[in-house]
Amino acid sequence: MSQILAIASTTLGEAIRRRVLLIILMVGLAFLIISPSLNQLTPRGERMVLIQMTLGILKITSAILAVTLTVYLLPNEVERRTIYTILSKPVQRYQFLLGKFFGSVGALTLMIGMMTLVLLVAFVIQQQTFDMKDLGPIIRSSIMLVFQMSLLAAVAMFFSTFVTPVVNFFLTGLVFVFGTLLNPLFEALGERGNQPAMQVITKIAHYAVPNFSTLDISTNAASEAGTRIGGSELVYMTQGMLYALAYIGILLILSVLVFDRKEV
Amino acid sequence: MPTAIKTENLTKTYRTRSGSVNVVDNLNIEVEEGEIYGFLGPNGAGKTSTIKMLLGISYPSSGQAWLLGKEVGDMEIHRKISYLPEKPYYYEHMTGMEILNFYAKLFNIGPAERAAKATALLEKVNLASDGAKTISQYSKGMQQRIGLAQSLLNDPVLLFLDEPTAGLDPIAHVEIRDLILQMRDEGKTVFISSHELSDVERICDRVAILNKGKVEQQGKLDDLLKGGRIEIQAEGVPDGAVDSLRTDGVIVSNHGGRLIIDAPDSAGSDGFLDAIRTAGGRVISVIPRRKRLEDLFVETVTRATERIKREDAR
Repeated sequence: MSQILAIASTTLGEAIRRRVLLIILMVGLAFLIISPSLNQLTPRGERMVLIQMTLGILKITSAILAVTLTVYLLPNEVERRTIYTILSKPVQRYQFLLGKFFGSVGALTLMIGMMTLVLLVAFVIQQQTFDMKDLGPIIRSSIMLVFQMSLLAAVAMFFSTFVTPVVNFFLTGLVFVFGTLLNPLFEALGERGNQPAMQVITKIAHYAVPNFSTLDISTNAASEAGTRIGGSELVYMTQGMLYALAYIGILLILSVLVFDRKEV
Repeated sequence: MPTAIKTENLTKTYRTRSGSVNVVDNLNIEVEEGEIYGFLGPNGAGKTSTIKMLLGISYPSSGQAWLLGKEVGDMEIHRKISYLPEKPYYYEHMTGMEILNFYAKLFNIGPAERAAKATALLEKVNLASDGAKTISQYSKGMQQRIGLAQSLLNDPVLLFLDEPTAGLDPIAHVEIRDLILQMRDEGKTVFISSHELSDVERICDRVAILNKGKVEQQGKLDDLLKGGRIEIQAEGVPDGAVDSLRTDGVIVSNHGGRLIIDAPDSAGSDGFLDAIRTAGGRVISVIPRRKRLEDLFVETVTRATERIKREDAR
């Protein structure tokens, strides 16, 4: 365990110093700071539009950060030969991989946390009130975003065990878009499709690709209903977290199996 | 002497578009505990591939290897061995002290012991005053020294050093060489892959020369470098006596009255000295010329390359 923690903390330390990640983070923060003022441009200056827009920015920035951070994690270690000094110590390959993953999740959590904080401050300044009724849904959305991005990082980590960073970038991006936009459609087709063959195919597609939209509660957060946390929302959030953890677990097991036999 | 490293027909094959290539081909070596073993070969000879297999970083295609009596891959062995890769990179945002702390954590060394070990090792590699500097501020020599320090954290029994002195300035070069000798004095086994043949010749007990994945020569340096030559210079030797000095493998040349006899050391010098004196000549100098490792290396690799060419032509 101490090996995993040591590798994770080093990965976290390195990630928060990577220039490219800091630039993406800065751009995201800049958008989050100016976005409340753009609210005046919307027809009715609605609170819903503002929350959805800012959460959208947060999600896109986080996704770019997650992919950029994770696709290079393993290849960089091999290219710079740091992996050799680490694996020549009493460190198993699975410990190395888990350490890298948890380190990147830690960095993502930190960055999402920082963006959420900035978003909350900007929101309070723009609304000129401090009301948990408004801020609560944003915080809950951000918590779910951490799980969503951890899942995306696990996807990128899995691909990085056998493809190059550039291919990984596109594959992970594709899985994210597919899992966000098309998975709900496949779920519906799998249940209500007319042809049995099509039902099977769409069901396989539904289960093979993680459904990122399940973890997205930004629409709910923006609606009036989302302003108060009810029992059903808590259940939904818990289910979403468990869903993400299950997929992350499966992806990490697959990553370990591939990485264990990989020539480095 | 117990064996520190043993390989039996160790082979690593890579598939290429044109077929497959053995980067390590039926390698059989034995390294005894407490010796410095030089693992030599031109670029692409399979040195790093062999080290990676021995460390369990890469998997052999066939054959077996043992470290300290246990089969390669046994995690317990990793507590007793250590590795300094060629051109190592360390996380640049970390200080020298943090790097040692990080690697010590990988051995589950407790915080107090970690701090004590890191301080002692920084002292040992002459980085005591630079422990708080980040790696990005370190020169190449300092990075190599911090690399050596990290490789000593677990007080290893067996060390693998891949090109430990490559690209270093003469001062850093000598410092690293002295540290390696110090390790042998402490009873450690050191396995060095290097192109710095003068270093290898000075510090190694035994060597193996690898070419295209195959061991072409291996043995004690003293044995391998036997067969040097003796150069005798004399003057006043009458022309009539010179011919009697020309025997098999002996080159005699006259440089303005000064006679230079270049003979294999197996011929001995006594016979030549007696002949010169009997003929009324005067011996100026007798210089034994030891065969250099560089000569042996070039000779071995050239011979092996020519043999491979002949085999390919058939």
